[in-house]
Amino acid sequence: MSTGLYFYAICRGVTADDLAGQAGIGEAPLRLVDQDGLGAVVSEVDLDEFGEDGLKRNLEDLAWLETVALAHDRVTRLVAEKAPTAPLRLATVFLGEASLREQLAQWHERAERALDRVEGRSEWSVKAYVDPEARGEQSQDEPAPEGMGAGKAYLLKRRAATQRRESLAEADAATADEIHAALQGVSVAGRRLAPQDRRLTGHTGEMVLNGTYLVDETRVVLFKGAVDALAAHHVGVRVEVGGPWPPYSFASLDEQ
Amino acid sequence: MTSDRTSGDITGGLVSRPSSNPANEPLQPVALVDLLDRLLGAGVVISGDLVISLAGVDLVQVRLHALIASVRAEMVPR
Repeated sequence: MSTGLYFYAICRGVTADDLAGQAGIGEAPLRLVDQDGLGAVVSEVDLDEFGEDGLKRNLEDLAWLETVALAHDRVTRLVAEKAPTAPLRLATVFLGEASLREQLAQWHERAERALDRVEGRSEWSVKAYVDPEARGEQSQDEPAPEGMGAGKAYLLKRRAATQRRESLAEADAATADEIHAALQGVSVAGRRLAPQDRRLTGHTGEMVLNGTYLVDETRVVLFKGAVDALAAHHVGVRVEVGGPWPPYSFASLDEQ
Repeated sequence: MTSDRTSGDITGGLVSRPSSNPANEPLQPVALVDLLDRLLGAGVVISGDLVISLAGVDLVQVRLHALIASVRAEMVPR
């Protein structure tokens, strides 16, 4: 079996002792590869499973994806609890320690910046849903004016329904923009992820905002207070807050 | 209306979950989608394709832009 190194996260200030006895994917022990003061948290994986061909095959297997995602998250949280941590995307695999070190050296400055950005901060998810039924969106049947033909009445009704839908969609977008902007004001940074598909999550109502925010640990209470206030202000909108997450959405090495 | 999922759901619970819990314990679908939203970097959407890009000869880096239809089919019944 040939093995590769699965790369979970870059961190600063974690020691090999911190990872002693801890396992990653497939119960393989976690290792720390130290390069110029930055640590790469890795564990060995089988390249039949995590090589190019294996990944192509396995990423389409939900059970596999779930197991790996959960292990990746568990390791990242473990490290993020101890030190500033920049999580890597799922399934970043190196074929050997030499190439890993080379890449780390190349990433050094960007990684330092990413770690500076997330130090003492965590990621929080805020989702907003509108429930069409709760705001009485069912079409109100108004009687057609007297003397109007059935065909014309039908067309008028359809046009009114379309206009109502469009104005509601505009109002929903404005609500989402407003909530997002307010939350950006009480966070270090905020991003909007694509609204999730109901067929995947089974949520009720329509998700108008799938936001994620980098929040200073000293301002979490303030942030949650702002979420509560926004939820109270926007009647008919359900707001969910989730977290803390490791700073998955804010530790990109691409960002400046 | 606000619901705080910090303590109640599985995602938040991972923070303090003891290591005796195996990594392959199933997530609630919503928690898994939340996680994949973040781990895959581009948000999880239903349509689209699977892209694997190779950056360098011996570096395999995966960017999964979408879950394919077969994934959806497996998740819906849960």
